[in-house]
Amino acid sequence: MDGKVKKQKQHQQKHSGPKAEKKKLKKQNGSTEEDERKRNPKAFAVQSAVRMAKTFHRAQDIKTKKHHVPVVDRTPLEPPPIVIVVVGPPKVGKSTLIRCLIKNFTRQKLTDICGPVTIVSGKKRRLTFMECNNDINSMIDLAKVADLVLMLIDASFGFEMETFEFLNICQVHGFPRIMGVLTHLDAFKNNKTLRKTKKNLKHRFWTEVYQGAKLFYLSGMVYGEYQNQEVKNLGRFISVMKFRPLVWQTSHPYILADRIEDLTDPERLRTDPKCDRTVSLYGYLRGTHLKNKGQVHIPGVGDFQMSEVNFLPDPCPLPDTQKKRALNEKERLLYAPMAGVGGVVYDKDAVYIDLPANHVKQLQEEVRPTTELVQSLIETHVTLDAKMAASKVSLFSGSAGLDPTDVSEQSGVQDGLREMHVWDPHTQTRRRKVVFTGFEEEEDDDTTLDLVYLQFSAKKQSVFLPGCDPSVGAFKWKDGLQQKASAAFLRHQEAAPNLRKLVYGSVVEAEDSEEEEEAELGGLFRVNRPQKSKKVQANALDCSHFNPDISHNWELEEMLNSIRDCFVTGQWEEGQDAATLLKEDEELYGDFEDLETGKVHKGTTGEQDQAEKSESDEDETDDEDQQVKMDDDEVMKNKRLEKKRRLKERFNTEYDDGDATYFDDLKEEMQKQAELNRAEFEDMDDESRVQYEGFRPGMYVRLEISSLPCEFVTNFDPHYPVIIGGLGTSEGNVGYLQMRLKKHRWYERILKTRDPLILSLGWRRFQTIPLYHIEDHSPITPQGTGFLAVQSVSGVKANFRIAATGVVLDLDKSVTIVKKLKLIGYPYKIFQNTCFIKGMFNTVLEVAKFEGASIRTVSGVRGQIKKALSTPAGAFRATFEDRLLMSDIVFLRSWYPLSIPQLYNPVTSLLLPVGQKDSWSGMRTVGQLKHDLGVRNKPSIDSLYKPITRAPRHFNPLHIPRELQKALPFKSKPKLLQPKGKVPRDLKRASVIREPHERKVAELLRALSTVHHYKKKEAQRAHHAKHKEFLQQKEKDEEAKMKRMKDARKKLYRVMGQKDQKKQRSSLKGTPQDD
Amino acid sequence: MLRSACTKRRKRRRMRRRKMTRTTISGLRASQPERGDFEANFIRLLDKLTNGSTIEINQTGTVLVFQPGLLYGGTVEHDCNPQRSIGYYLEALLMLGPFMKSPLKATLRGVTNDLTDPTVDLLKSTALPVMKKFGIDGEGFDIKRGMAPGGGGEVVFTCPVRKTVRPVQLTDPGKIKRIRGVAYSVRVSPQMGNRIVESARGILNQFLPDIYIYTDHMKGANSGKSPGFGLTLVAETLNGCFLSAEMSSTPQGQGDPILPEDLGRNCAKLLLEEIYRGGCVDSSNQSLALLLMTLGQQDVSKVLLGPLSPYTIEFLRHIRDFFQIMFKIEVQKPLEDERKGGDKVLMTCVGVGYSNISKTLK
Repeated sequence: MDGKVKKQKQHQQKHSGPKAEKKKLKKQNGSTEEDERKRNPKAFAVQSAVRMAKTFHRAQDIKTKKHHVPVVDRTPLEPPPIVIVVVGPPKVGKSTLIRCLIKNFTRQKLTDICGPVTIVSGKKRRLTFMECNNDINSMIDLAKVADLVLMLIDASFGFEMETFEFLNICQVHGFPRIMGVLTHLDAFKNNKTLRKTKKNLKHRFWTEVYQGAKLFYLSGMVYGEYQNQEVKNLGRFISVMKFRPLVWQTSHPYILADRIEDLTDPERLRTDPKCDRTVSLYGYLRGTHLKNKGQVHIPGVGDFQMSEVNFLPDPCPLPDTQKKRALNEKERLLYAPMAGVGGVVYDKDAVYIDLPANHVKQLQEEVRPTTELVQSLIETHVTLDAKMAASKVSLFSGSAGLDPTDVSEQSGVQDGLREMHVWDPHTQTRRRKVVFTGFEEEEDDDTTLDLVYLQFSAKKQSVFLPGCDPSVGAFKWKDGLQQKASAAFLRHQEAAPNLRKLVYGSVVEAEDSEEEEEAELGGLFRVNRPQKSKKVQANALDCSHFNPDISHNWELEEMLNSIRDCFVTGQWEEGQDAATLLKEDEELYGDFEDLETGKVHKGTTGEQDQAEKSESDEDETDDEDQQVKMDDDEVMKNKRLEKKRRLKERFNTEYDDGDATYFDDLKEEMQKQAELNRAEFEDMDDESRVQYEGFRPGMYVRLEISSLPCEFVTNFDPHYPVIIGGLGTSEGNVGYLQMRLKKHRWYERILKTRDPLILSLGWRRFQTIPLYHIEDHSPITPQGTGFLAVQSVSGVKANFRIAATGVVLDLDKSVTIVKKLKLIGYPYKIFQNTCFIKGMFNTVLEVAKFEGASIRTVSGVRGQIKKALSTPAGAFRATFEDRLLMSDIVFLRSWYPLSIPQLYNPVTSLLLPVGQKDSWSGMRTVGQLKHDLGVRNKPSIDSLYKPITRAPRHFNPLHIPRELQKALPFKSKPKLLQPKGKVPRDLKRASVIREPHERKVAELLRALSTVHHYKKKEAQRAHHAKHKEFLQQKEKDEEAKMKRMKDARKKLYRVMGQKDQKKQRSSLKGTPQDD
Repeated sequence: MLRSACTKRRKRRRMRRRKMTRTTISGLRASQPERGDFEANFIRLLDKLTNGSTIEINQTGTVLVFQPGLLYGGTVEHDCNPQRSIGYYLEALLMLGPFMKSPLKATLRGVTNDLTDPTVDLLKSTALPVMKKFGIDGEGFDIKRGMAPGGGGEVVFTCPVRKTVRPVQLTDPGKIKRIRGVAYSVRVSPQMGNRIVESARGILNQFLPDIYIYTDHMKGANSGKSPGFGLTLVAETLNGCFLSAEMSSTPQGQGDPILPEDLGRNCAKLLLEEIYRGGCVDSSNQSLALLLMTLGQQDVSKVLLGPLSPYTIEFLRHIRDFFQIMFKIEVQKPLEDERKGGDKVLMTCVGVGYSNISKTLK
């Protein structure tokens, strides 16, 4: 009773007492597994080697499956804002959500969400929101640039086709992060149905995205906005989210344009309103480095060449690094020029000021340094050219380190020469520099930079620009220069940039200094005048040999000595010297204790160190000679550090080598490369960095494209995304693509060869004509890129719009697709193995073309075409490996090249008028054409159904050769089938005609024999009956006899049994008494 | 992308190809239509390697419009013009080889060794290790010699296909550990080889004991059409960099004949000159290394070179024109007490992220 009551109580954990102590101890010690192994070794023993191998194998499989191919991490230090695309069917609450999120992050209200909205969401994160409307064009474009997709689902309605279409688009173009958001949850009155719907939607969403994908619930609206707490939570999720790099995005630069300006000359616009426009597009560069002057594709517009790229100061910068947790009000920036927010907008050559009611003060504060300039620009109303010139001048005077008082600028108007006074710190003199203004206008940026540089370099300052007469450079300071030129080390700093200029040719050294240099630098500066030398080389021999310097005389000892250390026999660096290495080894492994003898062997370092003072080690504290100089101390310290580092490295490698796999090595290599990438250009200024690497992602750039169609500007709608996708080298070409395609199972129609199809491939959307087998004509895109096909992009249809998806397999410039062609002929004359065949060709010429071709009959007899016959036309002689029959059909298998339709028709949806952007229609399919024109197909007579008439079949008799018949066994011999042939005459019986007497005799005999037969028959019948009776009798007797015998036997056995029993009984009783 | 200007059409063309570049170029030749034989021959070779390229040359031979197609590769046989040695053609193949659709197997016939171009031996011993550093290994060379002017040699060059090129950091060449070489002689006395070896060793032995120069005397069918001899020397460093020098005898009937002893000595001096220049890549392969760096992943590659040759400088300009890639060029002066030859140049660049688009996805 007592126990039962206790059982129902909950388990009470002991908090004190021996048991609790024990448990505590166990927890503290931790190594439970080891203990269990020790305590119960049998449980961990190997039961089956096979099982063990299997589990091990499986464990390894699972482990390796988790590995991804390591890639170099190329994300920049200051990444571009994350693109968040808000997708969903209409009236689901997209704009409301964006508005709420923006309000959550920046405390600002946006009424109309037009174009991308960039905000600063945290210390290290910026976000760009973009709303995706229901047009399939924008869905495709945005899926390619999205980092995160907020997929809004109306819970009261359930999933809509748009959602699935978008998911499918995402799958093809690399899967960005997808987060579901359920709205309209307040439509449910019943809590149970709400829960059920949530669960159903969640599971369906999981199957589409991945198991466990995040689905957010926005329960209801308060004053037309979502609940604050829920939005805050969503915002928190967004701001801590991590992203996986997508292949296409990381290998191509792209920009989601957030501002567009038309730069076309207004005069030109007035005269020709339809002229091509020069447009500058602005946005954050994402993906990878963008090279200047590359090719870009703007989805919905087409391919273009960038005429210029610059980077601008970030309009929405991340806050400066300060140690605090939250952003203050000033740092919560919002930038959305298309939506009319963002305040002051800077351009390369203009400033746009939008003055909203609030925030004005703050924005102006930020831009203080340039406001003066802005003001002056606004006031002066100068032309563009003048502005350009002005900006250059300002750059010059603003160059750092150069004392503005030392640099005075005069514009030498005559001859286009400009003179400039430069203070030379080395010679302590004022120098005049000659600058060619005419040249400068061409390459303004470069030249200016060069000049700035040269002011710093402390030596011969003659800078001659192409076309400048050397005699102009006859200056006073030249004499002093030549003296100095003899000092080699002075050129030290100068060499590098000059070499750069030399190669890339924007500054040319003066002729007089060239000779000295050449002798000095050992042929380093061979080509000194790119302009001139280029022409010389135009006709020079094109050869990669580098002729040796004549001045080097390898007979001389000093020359030989100059390369002594290049050989292993020469002197080594101190760090790698054999002696040093040996010593190090000794330090590492020198001290050891001989365990057997107990003797301690000390490394000999101590003595050695004493011997060479300079290399003495810090380990030896008892070192007596401490009187080293101060700089020696420094050297030693460095040495020590170096040594420590090396020791550590060695230890690390030894320690890690144990379980380092190939994968780890690869990862480490990638890590190193990423570090190097970051470090290499880190300390350079952006201007020069851009030259080496291109524009790096995260920069706010301005692209200028000079020939955009005017519709792009006139029909611009900020609700549609403008994406500028950079194209890799040779991705601008057109060729043939071979793709693996799969029709979507939800798409209802069938896809037909030569029916135009709209593909979304790479950045592009275009219409093309596929040829299923397989090949296709379209712009070249790297293999492995996914694509998506739709049949039309216009309008909204109830059905699923995505027709097919697939992947690019191969690309080529020319492709030969062939059709199989069988030519059929019939033999009309058969010799042994040769026969004449007609009906395959029409002329002798055709036959001549196919001479030697192999042919075959249906039954598989192979042959060859030999020669044409004169008649009938097209007949030929052929030989076969066996004799043909007249009924054989001969055929020739051949291939017929197919011409592939070439169509590349980019979908120019962005050029359509506002409001009709989703109505682009390209080439129509044959079916559509017929439908539109009301053409009905006249079916081929051959394809019509006709009543089937079957001719009676006639079988020829089977003929078995006589030889074969002889060999057959008797039962298989065709006895019955043998027709009744003629009986040979000798076997034929002659018919007998009887005499009347004979006839009588025969008659009598017949009568007698009939009687006899009857009698005989009767007798036989009687005999049978008798015999039957006899047999019956006999059986009866037999039965009686058996019965008797059975009885007798029964009796006998009974007696015997009794006897046996008696015997047994008596034997049980004991000894027989009297028998 | 239209490109005029002239010269170094070969390089230019090569570059074009490699990028499979764009459209077209009109390479304007400066006015010497008569020197076009080997160039026409070169274009023909390119035509064989590609698919879908169009070539138009105007009547005077001054304008070339070349629209490259995709690099196709496969088995190619080509009779090279004996005006230039096979090295001239091979240099281009080395650059194009890894970016073909199918692995290249090119059989080139003509002059294997002459004075102007890098010989096949040199390319075999230096260009291949350079490519190996970039992750392209497995190329093969099979040589039958044929000296200028007659030629008659044959080279079978095989090259595997790569999708991407690895970035490299070659900043330390290391010290030279051994010197190897080939002294070849065809249709002359076999003694020539030994004489060359002896004189070359005489100079090089001052620096290093580990020198081995093979003598390669060819007879009969393998010896080509013209007599001649020459020497190729290769110095290998501890870090696997190769510096080389070579010299061939003057072609029969052209210029003064050269003594084998002189040739050996001069060639050894050339090698010393090359060592003086130093760097991780020898002077004749500078452009190859730079190109592979340019075509690498979008990562930083570094290579230490000797002074840039005029050819390389021209090449760098082409790279800038075609790929918009500029190299960061830093000159490293030797320290005062260092005895390691002249100035070195450290070239740094970020690759364009080129991937071989003609390779088929299986």
